Amino acid sequence: MKTQSKEIRLSGVAASPGIAMGPILVLGSDTIFVEEQRINSKEIDLELDKFDKALDKSKKDLQKLYEKALVSYGDEAAQIFNVHTHLLEDPMIVDETIKKIRKDKCNSDYAFASIIDNYIQSLDEMSDELFKSRTTDLHDIKRRVIRYLQGDDPARLKQVDSPVIIFAKELTPSETIRLDRSKVLGFAMDFGARTSHATILARSIKVPAVVGLNQAGKYLKNGDSVILDGEEGLLIIHPNQSTLTQFQKRYSELQILEKRLEAIKKLPARTKDGKDIELASNIEFPQEVETIQDLQGDGVGLFRTEYLFLADEYEPTEEQQFQEYKNLLERLEGKPLIIRTYDLGGDKPSKSLIIPPEQNPFLGVRGVRLYRDSGHQLFRTQLRAIFRASVFGDIRVMFPMIACMSEIQYCRRIINEIKVELKRQKIEFSENVPIGAMIEVPSAAATADLIADECDFLSIGTNDLIQYSTAVDRGNENLGYLYQPYNPAVLRFIRDTIAMGHQKGVWVGMCGEMASDPLMTMVLIGLGLDEFSLSPVSHLLIKEIIRHVEYHECESMAQKALQFSTSDDVHNYLNNIYQKKFRHLLHLTH
Amino acid sequence: MVEKKIIIENDYGIHARPARLIVETASRFESDIQIVQDGKSVNAKSIMGILMLGAKKGTVLVLLTNGSDEIEAMEAVMAVFRKIASMKELQAK
Repeated sequence: MKTQSKEIRLSGVAASPGIAMGPILVLGSDTIFVEEQRINSKEIDLELDKFDKALDKSKKDLQKLYEKALVSYGDEAAQIFNVHTHLLEDPMIVDETIKKIRKDKCNSDYAFASIIDNYIQSLDEMSDELFKSRTTDLHDIKRRVIRYLQGDDPARLKQVDSPVIIFAKELTPSETIRLDRSKVLGFAMDFGARTSHATILARSIKVPAVVGLNQAGKYLKNGDSVILDGEEGLLIIHPNQSTLTQFQKRYSELQILEKRLEAIKKLPARTKDGKDIELASNIEFPQEVETIQDLQGDGVGLFRTEYLFLADEYEPTEEQQFQEYKNLLERLEGKPLIIRTYDLGGDKPSKSLIIPPEQNPFLGVRGVRLYRDSGHQLFRTQLRAIFRASVFGDIRVMFPMIACMSEIQYCRRIINEIKVELKRQKIEFSENVPIGAMIEVPSAAATADLIADECDFLSIGTNDLIQYSTAVDRGNENLGYLYQPYNPAVLRFIRDTIAMGHQKGVWVGMCGEMASDPLMTMVLIGLGLDEFSLSPVSHLLIKEIIRHVEYHECESMAQKALQFSTSDDVHNYLNNIYQKKFRHLLHLTH
Repeated sequence: MVEKKIIIENDYGIHARPARLIVETASRFESDIQIVQDGKSVNAKSIMGILMLGAKKGTVLVLLTNGSDEIEAMEAVMAVFRKIASMKELQAK
């Protein structure tokens, strides 16, 4: 009889609301799941052949990586890929694996993994750091070869029968793309902040997430029963019976709340005194269009296109992109699709582009800055695909990281060249695709009128605007307190951007996380924001708020909010009003 | 068979980079080349083997080459060790 493990409660940052209960899947640094399978004597040769081919493909990869690294980082750094190649030719690894497959009559991935794991263990026991650190190389080649042996698709979630809560120290954008959504109940991470990529994904697929747990990895092993509270930022390991009962109750209450919000899907996003607000959605992958059509909102206010570059080893072609955009437009049935041209660099490194290592990636070559040199061809390709798709629906394009008017002028120049090209090739496109600029750099916010002169619309990207305004790295969990959405500077930027945009006759929307913040909804309405583009998980809540306020009270609230001197004062003010006005939207147990 | 005894003087011992150089040199020869430490013997053509030795500063190693090109092999391997490990040859007792 198994002894009951003690309940452990760990606290992190609440990143995506909701409650999940279930088994945890720990994605370790090698994120591989290998199971021993018996094979019969006839299958041995097949298995050996598989192994041989996997080694071959891996060595080819390593050769390519060596050459790429040689160019970008020099000989010293590139040598590591040679070390990996030697490991893959090492008799102690290769011959031993072959022996094991024959002797134990088992699958090649299990045999290989076992041999490598033995060496990892031995190296781990060595006291000398230089030898211990070689385990990283072993983990790396293990992952590389097993990916090929398992058919280049992480088997970890394929072999999981029931949905799990995923735990990882951190999740890179490339990794999150590979996850099978239908098996994910929620995310728990040691690192990360509320605006990390994994968080954005969790909010998109509407599952709870808790990040910045710090040391949860120490307490977790695969299969442990956990409760994830995305509202409070709590991870409970081995919950006891009374905890389970308590959370099951909260879970059903949340279901009730959700049902109530469901009912307002078909109702308009209109204030009590009749002002219509446009409520669109942020999406990261084309598959999400189903979720947002279900919400019956006003289309896509932000389509992040980085997934095109992070999922595959190779760049997406114009034809591939054109088909994606056309498909989306058709499914949106006339509702707008606002595409943000690719924004790589910063925290979204890409395999397609080799961006030289920078001291300050957030102040470096990213967004529109990529479109001049190394990223120029990709930019043109994307624009061509967008314009070709424009005959199939209401497609609009906006450019990230605009810092000044001349950058918009540059983009428009390229667009004109694209139009001429397409005309010459007798390819149909719409002449009037609306052009927008993301306002996320302080210089752009300060000169929004100049930029508006060259645009049809502006979209405020608060995630980056906030971090650039207070000069803080949003991914740095030690500086979470300095990432202040309610900072008077940020509020003034928003107020002035909207005012300047309207002065120049363009509409102004917001696609950053702040648009999804229920505390800010009334202020943003009061400042005159024309469009909110939200993560799907917040859509109905924000709509409910809009339907319960009057425009004129939002205006006076906005005025008041802009008068405070500190972020905390603003926060308290907003929170008090929210608590008073929207009690019924808060959790019933609070 | 050719046998030599050496002591590693290099601060960092034989870690990944020098291990790779040893493997690349040893692999050029037909002879079997073994590195022995404290009774443990590993194939000099195996990078894993060399790493597992955990040879540090002050470690005494015995090099053995055996085969048709054993003399050239020993010379070449000694040269690599000299280059990477600031090694000193010990007189066999």
